[in-house]
Amino acid sequence: MNDPFVIFWTVMILTSVVWYGFLLFYVGAKGAREIKQMTKTLESRSR
Amino acid sequence: MNLSPLDWLIIIVYLAGCMAAGIWMRRFVRGVEDFTVAGREMDVNLGIASLAATELGVVTIMYTAQLGFEKGFAGATIGVIMALAMYLVGRTGFVIQPLRAAGVMTVPELFEKRFGKGVRWLAGLFVVLGGVLNMGIFLRLGGEFIMHLTGLPKDSHALEWVMTGLLGLVLLYTVMGGMLSVLVTDYLQFIVMGLGIVITSILVISDIGWTTLVQKLWLCWDGTGAGVGQTLKAHPFNPLHESNFGWFYLGWMLIFQIAVVTTWQTQVSRVLSSKDEHTAKRMYRRTAFYFVGRFALPGLWGAAALVHFSFAGGLPEGIDSLTAMPAYLATILPIGLIGIVLAGMLAAEMSTDSGYLLTWATVIYNDLITPCVKKPLTTRAKLMITRSLVLGIGVFLLFYGLWYEMPGNAWDYLAVTGNIYLASVFTLLVAGLYWRGANASGAYAALVLGAVGPITFLVVNLVAAKEKQIAPEVAGASSFGLAFAGMIIGSAIARRPPANPANEASI
Repeated sequence: MNDPFVIFWTVMILTSVVWYGFLLFYVGAKGAREIKQMTKTLESRSR
Repeated sequence: MNLSPLDWLIIIVYLAGCMAAGIWMRRFVRGVEDFTVAGREMDVNLGIASLAATELGVVTIMYTAQLGFEKGFAGATIGVIMALAMYLVGRTGFVIQPLRAAGVMTVPELFEKRFGKGVRWLAGLFVVLGGVLNMGIFLRLGGEFIMHLTGLPKDSHALEWVMTGLLGLVLLYTVMGGMLSVLVTDYLQFIVMGLGIVITSILVISDIGWTTLVQKLWLCWDGTGAGVGQTLKAHPFNPLHESNFGWFYLGWMLIFQIAVVTTWQTQVSRVLSSKDEHTAKRMYRRTAFYFVGRFALPGLWGAAALVHFSFAGGLPEGIDSLTAMPAYLATILPIGLIGIVLAGMLAAEMSTDSGYLLTWATVIYNDLITPCVKKPLTTRAKLMITRSLVLGIGVFLLFYGLWYEMPGNAWDYLAVTGNIYLASVFTLLVAGLYWRGANASGAYAALVLGAVGPITFLVVNLVAAKEKQIAPEVAGASSFGLAFAGMIIGSAIARRPPANPANEASI
């Protein structure tokens, strides 16, 4: 377990799990707002 | 069949939600620019969701898991390199900044401004051929995953019918709403897919245990595990070890991945849909680490499948390194969660298919058809052509990639076709944007040599004995070298002013 490559991959894999979990909520919330804004702009443009 | 009524309910709710959102976006499509680049209204977080969802398909999950099965955790090194390439390009704006600033809809369109119509058309042909043939393998591999996870019978045509139905749904919303539908469904698919990936990764780690997984990978590698033998032929953690990738391959991968993130049309289409070049750069920087997980998490599942089957008497009959991962997941996913994971994988497949279908249809319309049309088309006619192209590519893929069994060497052929696209188009992009001496003759020479090189390697590898065949990294690096040599020598021989100097200044 003290092998530097094992430590590297442990950090990479566990960080990836946390990062994917974080993005679910962060991009989930912000992305929804951006879709709302985008549809508003497109709607006003077509009027 | 491994699915319970609860799993079916989850899948049906997901599919219905996706279809409703995709079809709803049709009302905002007013012209080709809305249909192909979402009216250039995409902001950074929607871009992250779309880019991540499109570039992570079931085909990716299958191959990265296979890398984990064959090379252990070190198989994910390509993901680390890709993340580095994404970050570097996002930091510096290399290629993507001037590309977005040029206001084009596709990469070949930029070539017309710099090298003339002929180069645009030929480059468009290369882009479409490479892209559509590359996509030909997606449906079958996605279907293999679903078959193994759900336990659907393999002797019937279940795989073909399931994937035909899935492609039908994707075609319906992509044809109706174009990039606007793709963006909104990509967003939903990003959420469902992310949920499936996180849940599966946590389950895999808790099933075997992290310390046990690491220890058993060592045992699979050194072959001292009781009754196991050496089931892993590559060092499971060190990518630089002679049994694993090695320095040369990884160095080549860095160049290759920089070419992919700046040239591959499905990635670039998100850059071109961005509000501006700064949004595109931020999107790349923030998506970069996602690409580590794109390789590392399915790689973890593949490595866990290796450990599981190695210590359970070996791979069952009919299972190989590619299908070991879904076969293993079917043994650990409980009722309810299997529905979420399957919905996540369907999401991965659908987002990739829709993004790719739209992208290649856009290139055919924009770069192969438009330059040949003498009279200006009405908006209605333009939309109808683009929609028909999406549908046409979908039908082609059904027969080429699903109902028609490709011969064994098709994989080599596809790898070579991808290289033809990347080597030649990357050379044209870099030279067109950053070298004032580049001209149309150099561009033609780069396109031809970028194609001749990989085809030569394909022929050599077909006739040569296995030990004398050319390694993929040598073939790939040489293709790029030949394309760049063609650009430099061709431009030097026919040294003359660019085809359209007025336009050159604006790029």
